[in-house]
Amino acid sequence: MKVSYKLQDKFDLVIFIPVIFLVIIGLMAIFSATYNQSLASGNFQKQLIAAVFSVLILLIVYFLPPVSLRELALPSYLLSIFFLIVVLVLGRTVYGSKSWLNFGPLGFQPSEFAKVGVVLFMSHWLTNKKDDINNVKDIGVALLIGFLPVALILLEPDMGTAIVFVIITISILFWSGISLFAMFVVLSPAIVIFASLLGTFFFILSLAFVVICLVFFKRDLFNSITIFVANLASSYFFSYIYKILKPHQQKRIETFLNPNADPLGSGYNAIQAKVAIGSGGIFGKGYLQGNQTQLRFIPEQWTDFIYCVIGEEFGFIGSIVIIILFLILFLRLLKLASNAKDKYHALIIIGVLSIIFSHFAINIGMNVGVTPVIGLPLPFLSYGGSSLMVNMILIGIVLNIYRNRKMYT
Amino acid sequence: MNDSLFGSATRKNIIYFVIVGFCFILILQLFSMQILEHPEYAVKSEENSIKPVYQTAPRGVFYDRNGNILVGNKPSFTIRITPADYNNRLDKYIEPVIGVNPGFISKLLKENSSYSKYIPIKIKKDADFKIIAWYEENASNLPGVDYVIETQRDYSFGVSGSHMFGYTKEIGIDLLRQKKKEYDMGDNIGYSGLEKTYEKFLKGIKGIRYIIVNAQQKTIGSYNNGINDKSAIKGYDLILSIDKNAQEVAEKSFEGKRGALVALDPNNGEILAFVSSPQFDLSDFATVTSTEVWNRLNNDPDKPLFNRATMSIYSPGSTYKLLAATAALEEGIITPDYKITCQGGFQFGDRFFKCLHVHGTVNVITAIEKSCNTFFYQLILKIGLKKWAEYSHKFGFGMKTGVDIPEESKGLVPDEEYYDKIFGKGRFPKGILVSLGIGQGELSVTPIQLAQYAAIFASYGKTAKPHFVKGLIKSVTHEFIPITPEYFDVGVSKKTFDIVREGMYDVVNRAGTATNIRLPNIEIAGKTGTAQNPHGKEHSIFIGFAPFNNPKIAIAVVVENAGYGSTAAAPIARDVIKAYLEGNSKKVNENETYRQLLSNLIINKN
Repeated sequence: MKVSYKLQDKFDLVIFIPVIFLVIIGLMAIFSATYNQSLASGNFQKQLIAAVFSVLILLIVYFLPPVSLRELALPSYLLSIFFLIVVLVLGRTVYGSKSWLNFGPLGFQPSEFAKVGVVLFMSHWLTNKKDDINNVKDIGVALLIGFLPVALILLEPDMGTAIVFVIITISILFWSGISLFAMFVVLSPAIVIFASLLGTFFFILSLAFVVICLVFFKRDLFNSITIFVANLASSYFFSYIYKILKPHQQKRIETFLNPNADPLGSGYNAIQAKVAIGSGGIFGKGYLQGNQTQLRFIPEQWTDFIYCVIGEEFGFIGSIVIIILFLILFLRLLKLASNAKDKYHALIIIGVLSIIFSHFAINIGMNVGVTPVIGLPLPFLSYGGSSLMVNMILIGIVLNIYRNRKMYT
Repeated sequence: MNDSLFGSATRKNIIYFVIVGFCFILILQLFSMQILEHPEYAVKSEENSIKPVYQTAPRGVFYDRNGNILVGNKPSFTIRITPADYNNRLDKYIEPVIGVNPGFISKLLKENSSYSKYIPIKIKKDADFKIIAWYEENASNLPGVDYVIETQRDYSFGVSGSHMFGYTKEIGIDLLRQKKKEYDMGDNIGYSGLEKTYEKFLKGIKGIRYIIVNAQQKTIGSYNNGINDKSAIKGYDLILSIDKNAQEVAEKSFEGKRGALVALDPNNGEILAFVSSPQFDLSDFATVTSTEVWNRLNNDPDKPLFNRATMSIYSPGSTYKLLAATAALEEGIITPDYKITCQGGFQFGDRFFKCLHVHGTVNVITAIEKSCNTFFYQLILKIGLKKWAEYSHKFGFGMKTGVDIPEESKGLVPDEEYYDKIFGKGRFPKGILVSLGIGQGELSVTPIQLAQYAAIFASYGKTAKPHFVKGLIKSVTHEFIPITPEYFDVGVSKKTFDIVREGMYDVVNRAGTATNIRLPNIEIAGKTGTAQNPHGKEHSIFIGFAPFNNPKIAIAVVVENAGYGSTAAAPIARDVIKAYLEGNSKKVNENETYRQLLSNLIINKN
C-alpha cells in the first residue's frame, strides 16, 4: 500500500474520510426528511449540488499556496465585517433574523463566512504580536476582533451564531496561552449572564462566585472592583439586549431553560425531536420508515433537526456512528493543532475545531435534549449550502496546513 | 504571546476532556432515550401519528310482531366543517347553498370552539343531492369542508307511532360530558320513547378506522393496511309487539281527534297498538331539528309532543264501576243477587246525585250493563274508601305501569291519607266518596292504566306489564333475544271476574251502552265511560276486550271532548279489535319458525 501511504502523507485521510461519510449520511438524511414533502422537494437536489461544489472548493483551498493563508487573514476579516454590515441593511429576514444576502437566485449567510475571517485574522493577530498575551490591551484587542462580529450578529439577531463566535474567540485565546486570571475575566461575564437567565437567586450566586474568584486571584482592589462592575454591566447589557429581542426569540431562551413549559409552541420541536430519537430504539425504524420524520412532526427537520432523522430511522447504532465520526475528526484536529510547528496554523486548527465542535455540541445536544434549542446547523449534515461550503473551506484549510506541515520546522 | 502556555499539554488535555466528556454525555443520553426509555417514546410516537376515525353505526330498526318494518334507516349526506382547516371567508359561499341564514356557520363553530379544532362539526344533515353535487364541483376551493354518508331514521313505512318510537337527537353538550366515554360530539342519542329506553342496544358499536396523520392532522393514509380497523356494527333490531295493521287503523281513527289508544294482548302485556293524538312528524327530528319546528310543536295548543297515552290523566268515568263491582263482590260486601232500585238518582245528605236514567231494579250485572250510577253511588259507601283504594292499587292505578318507554305518569288514586291532608284527619266529606263510585272526582288515570285494567278483566287477573318490545335481534348473529315480560296476578277470584265480565259482555251484546259496536263474528266485552271535564265537553272513554271467551286483545280508548263513550271511543275500539283479529292474513305462528323467519327477513331487508 505504498500509494496510499504517500497519499496520507500529503492528504490527511483521517480528517477527510469522516467528513465525506458525514456529508453522505447528511444527504441521505435530507433525502428522507424531504421525502413526501412537496414544499421541500428540491432541497435534496440543491444540497447534492452544494456537496459536489463544496468538495471542489475544499480541493481548491487544499491546493492554495501556503502563504495565502496569511495574506488572506486581514482581507477575509474585513470582507466579513463588511458583509455583516451589508446584511443588516439589505438582508432578507428569515424566521425573524436578518441574516441572508441574496444575489439573484443565490443566497448566502455572511455570518457563516465570517467564521473563516475571524479564525484567520484573530490567529494571525495573536501570532504576530511581540508581547505576552496577558495584558489588558492585547486581550482587549483580541476580544474586539472576536466580538465585533458578535455584536453585528446579535443585531440580526442570531443568538446561536453569536454564541459560536464567542466560543471561537475564547478557544483561540485559551490555546494562545491566556492566563487563568485573564480567562476568568473573559469568561465570568458569560457565566453571570447565563446565571441571570436562571433567576435572581442564581444571578446573586454567580456574583458571589466572581467575588470569591477575585479574592482567590489576589488582585488589587481597583482591578477587582473594575472586573466586578464589568460583570454587573454585562448582565445589564444582556438584559437590555434580551428586552429588544423579538418575542419569539425571548421565547426561545425561555424554552431553552424549560422546554416542557410550552409543549405546543417553541418547546414543540424539542419534544418531538426527543420522541423521534427515543422511538428509534436500537436499530431504528428503517430508512424512510420513521413516522415522526415522514409525517412531518418536526418542521424544517432537514435543517436544525437532521440528527433526529438518523436517530429515528437508524436508531442507537446510527446515532452513535455519527458521534464517533465527529469524535475521530475532533481528536485528529486536536492532534494536528498540538503537532503543528507553526503557531498561526495551530491557532487556525483550534479555531476550526471550536467552530465544528460548538455546532456539533449545541446541535446534537438540543436534538437529544441536553442543551437549549438554539438554531444551529449540524456541520456536514444539515441542509444549507452556506454552512456546508464554509465547513468544507475550514476542512480545506486544515488539509492545506497538513499538506505544508513539513515546511515549518 | 506566552510561549510556555501556548498549546500546552494541560490545555490540550482540557480540550480533550471537554470533547470526549461531551461525547460521552451524548452517548449516555442516547442510551437512556433509545434503549432504556424506548418503550415510552415508541408509544408517544405511535400516538402522534395514528388517529382513530369513528364511523357511526346504523341504529337498530324496529319491526312489528309479524316482521313488518316500522322504523328503518336510510342513507343521508352530512356536510361538515373541520375548524382547523376552514376559513371563515367561505361562509358567504356555503350559507346560501345549504339554506341557512348568514352567520349560522360562525355561530355554530363558536358554540363548539371548546372542542378540538380537528374534530369536524356537522353543519348540515340530510343534505340534498344538489348540495353534494355543488360541493363536489367546488371541493378544491373549500378547504376544511367535507361530507360523510350517515344513516338517518326512515319513517316512511305507513305508521307514525311518534310517541312510542320516540326520536333521537344530537347529543347535547351537558349529556356529552357525562357520557364522553360512549359518545362523541355530533352523535345521535335516543331522547324519548323506545329510542331512549333501548338506546344502549339500538346505538350499535362504532367503527374505527385508523389513519396516519401528519403534524397538521392531514391524512396520509391508512394505518397498518387497515388490519386494526373495525367496521361499525349495527345496533340490535327491536321486534315490537305492535301489530302494524291494528296500528294503522288506530292511527287513522284518531285523525283530527285528540286522545289516546292502547291495545294489549291480555295474555302477556304486549302492546298491539298505541296512539297518542295528535301525533307529530318524527321525520322532523331525523335531521337537525330547526328551532321553528321545535317552537311550533311546543306552542301548539294541542300539545302534539305530549304523550297522552301514558302521561295525560283523565277521570276514568263509568269504566271505573268495574273496579267497585269487583271489590264489593270479592270482599263479600254484595252478592250477585244484591239488588237496588234506581229512581234516577241518589239522595245523600243534602245533595242529590243524578243517574242518567231511571233504571228500576238493578243487580251488579245490569248496573254494569246499563252503567247505573245509583247502584254505584251506594255501593262505594258500602265498600269504603280504604278497600276501594286498595283494589285501585291492585289493578295498577295510582302507579306507573312500568311500560318500556320513559314518559309515564302515575295518575292519582285518592285514599284516606290523601284526603286527610286536604280536610284533616278523618274529616273528608262522604259526598266525595259518592263521586268516586262512578269514577269522577280526584281520581285520575292514564290510558295505558286503563288498557292494563281491561287486560286484567280479560285475563282473569293474570297478565303481564304492558310493554312494546318482544325481543331484540343481534345484528351480527341474527340471534333472537326474547325479553320476558313481568307477569303478575291481581289475586281476584274467577267467580268475581265471571260476574263482572258478564256485565261487560252485556254492555256490548245485550241492552248495554255500547251495543252499537257489536260485531257479527267477534264477541266484544267492554265498558263505556264519559269523563266529566271541567274545561269543556266530556271525554269519551271505552275499555274492552275480545273475543269474549278467549281474549286476544284488550283495549282502552279515550277521545277528548267527544261526549259519550259509546259514540266516539267505542267504535274506534271496535275497528282496532277487528283489524287485529281479522285483518291480518299473514300472521305468523310464533312458536314455530318465528326466530328463523325474522332472521331471514332481516338479511333480506338490509
